[in-house]
Amino acid sequence: MNFQLIIYFNLLLFLLGIFGIFYSRNIITMFVSYQFIIISAIINFLSFSNLLYMHSLWAEVFIISGVISIYFLMFCIVYYIYSKLNLLDKKVFYENYRLFRIITSDWWGEDNR
Amino acid sequence: MEFIFNISEKINPLQSIVVMAAAILISSFFGLSKKRSVKRFIIAVAAVSLLSAFYINIHIFIHLGSLSNDLLAFGTLQVIEVGIIIFSALNILFFVSVYEVNRDHFIKILILLLFSAICAVFTVIADNFILMFTGMTIFVLTAFQLVTGLNSDISASGNYAIRFFLRPVLTLILLFFGFSLFYGAAGLEGFSQILENESVSNPLVMIGLVVFGAAVYIYFFLFPFQNPYMGLLKRSNASSNAVIWFLYFPVGFFVFFKFSELFSFFIEKGSLYVSIILIALTFICMFAGNLGASKTASVRRIISFLFLYFIGIFLLNISMFSAGIISSLSMRWLNIANVFLLTFSFIPVYVIFSRIEKLTGSDSISAIRGLGRSNVYLSINLIIIFLSWSVTALYVLPFRKYFTGGVDISAMGAIGMTLLALISVTFIFLMVNIFRVVTKFFKRPSEGTAEKIIFHKFYYVYITFFTLAILIVVVKCLMEISGIDIGIMDFNITGFVF
Repeated sequence: MNFQLIIYFNLLLFLLGIFGIFYSRNIITMFVSYQFIIISAIINFLSFSNLLYMHSLWAEVFIISGVISIYFLMFCIVYYIYSKLNLLDKKVFYENYRLFRIITSDWWGEDNR
Repeated sequence: MEFIFNISEKINPLQSIVVMAAAILISSFFGLSKKRSVKRFIIAVAAVSLLSAFYINIHIFIHLGSLSNDLLAFGTLQVIEVGIIIFSALNILFFVSVYEVNRDHFIKILILLLFSAICAVFTVIADNFILMFTGMTIFVLTAFQLVTGLNSDISASGNYAIRFFLRPVLTLILLFFGFSLFYGAAGLEGFSQILENESVSNPLVMIGLVVFGAAVYIYFFLFPFQNPYMGLLKRSNASSNAVIWFLYFPVGFFVFFKFSELFSFFIEKGSLYVSIILIALTFICMFAGNLGASKTASVRRIISFLFLYFIGIFLLNISMFSAGIISSLSMRWLNIANVFLLTFSFIPVYVIFSRIEKLTGSDSISAIRGLGRSNVYLSINLIIIFLSWSVTALYVLPFRKYFTGGVDISAMGAIGMTLLALISVTFIFLMVNIFRVVTKFFKRPSEGTAEKIIFHKFYYVYITFFTLAILIVVVKCLMEISGIDIGIMDFNITGFVF
C-alpha cells in the first residue's frame, strides 16, 4: 500500500474534522467531527506501526486504551445531555450550538444571559 | 518487616496513590450513608489520607531518590507537582466539607474527589504516552462527574458544564492525534525519549508540537475561547469552581510542563514570527483578563478574569524566552512559581469571597463593602495576599541592564520594548483592579450586610496559614535581593529565576 497516500488521506480526515468543529451548528455534527480526528489518529498509529515499526504492540495497546477512555468520556457527556438536561437546553445543543463562540459579555460587562 | 519494605520499594513512587486508594476503599463501604457522624468520619479519613500522601510523596523522594522507567518519571519537578495537586485536593476537601456536607451523595463526591486526585497524580508522574493519556482522560472524566455532581441542583449550570467539558475532550483528541505523529516520527513512546532521539527535528514532531500547543490553549480557555469557562464559573456553586480552578487547571499546567523542554528546543530555533504570535497571544490574555475584571461588578467574574490573566503569565514566560530575554531554565522555574502563586493566593481569596457570597446571597462587589471596618484582621490578610500579585512587577528585572547604563537601550529591540510595555501596562491594570477591590473594604457597608458577615474561627487560622506562607517567601526574596543571608534555608529563590 502506498504510504504517502495513507498520510494524505489521514491529513484530509484530520482537516475535515477541524473544519467540522468550526462549522458545525449542532452537537451531533460536532461529535462526528471529533470521530474524524480520532479515526485519523488511529490510522496514523496503525499505518506507522505496520509499515515502519513491524507491527508494534505498543501502538495497538495505545489505540485500544486511548479509544476506550476517550469514548467513555464522550459517552458520559452524551448520557448527561439525555438524562439531565431539560428540553429547551437539549434544543439549544441540537439547533444552535457552537464550540467556539465569541460573545461581548465574555470580554467585559455583566453576564445576564 | 522486610516483606513490607520490599512492597514499599516496589510501589515507589506510587505510595501516595496507594494511600488515597485505601481511603476510597474505606469510603466506598459507607457510600450510601446519610448519617452526619459517618460523613464526618469519611471527611477525617479523606483528610488523613491526603495529608499522608503529601508527606509520603516528599519522604520517598528524600529516601529513595528519583526514579525513571518505561512508565514513570519521578524527579524533583514531579515531587513539586504531586505536592501541589494533593495540597489543592486538600483545600477542595475543605470547600466540599463546608458547602456540600448536607447533600445525600456527599460521600460519593468525596470518593470522586480522591479518584480525580489519583488520576491527576498518574498524569503527572507518567512518562509513557499511554499512561499519561489514559490518566488525563480519566482525570477529565472524574472532573466532569465531580462538577456535574456538585451542580446537580443548579439547572442553569448543566448546559455550561457540557459546553465546558467538550473543550478538554477536543484537547484530548488533539493530544491523541499529536501522539500518533510523535510515534510516526521515530517510534517515540515516552517524553524522556524525545530530546534524546536524533529525529527531534522531524517535521512530524514539529506538526505534533503545533497540535499540542493548540490543544493546551483550548484546555485553558484562553482568550478568545473563554465563553464556557466564564459561563460555568458564574453559575456553578463554590466547590465546583474550586475543582476547576485548583485541580483542573493545575493538571493542565503540569501536562504543559512535560512538553516545555521540547517546546523550548523548537522556540530556541524558531523564527521571529513565532515570537510575534506568542507576544500577540500574551497581550490578548493579559490585557483582556485585566480589562474584563475592571468592567464587571461580579466577584466571581473578577476572580475568573484575573485567573485568566495569571494563565497569560505562562504565555509571557514563553514569549520572554522566545525573545531571548530569559533562559529555558528560568522559564520553567517561573512557570512553577506562577502555579505556586495561583494556588497560594487564589485559594484563600476565594474561600473568603465565597463565604461572603453565601452569607449575603449576593455575588456583587458591593457585598464586600465594609469588610475592612467589620473584620480588620481578615481584610489585612486579604490585602497582603492581593499585594503578593505585585510580584509580577519583577518581570521588569531582566530589562534593568538597559536602564542602569550597562547596555545600550537600542539593543533591547522592538520585541523587548513591546514586552516591557506589555508588562508595565498590564501591571498597572492589575494594581487598579486590586485597588478597586481593596477600596470596597473600607467603604460604608450596605444596610444589614455587615451583620451577616460572620466567620468561624477556623477561617482565621486557614487564611493566616496562607498569609504567613506568602510573607515568608516575600521576606526570603527581599533578603536575597539585598544580599542578606541568615543561613536558615539553603534554597535560593531569586537565583533560580533571573
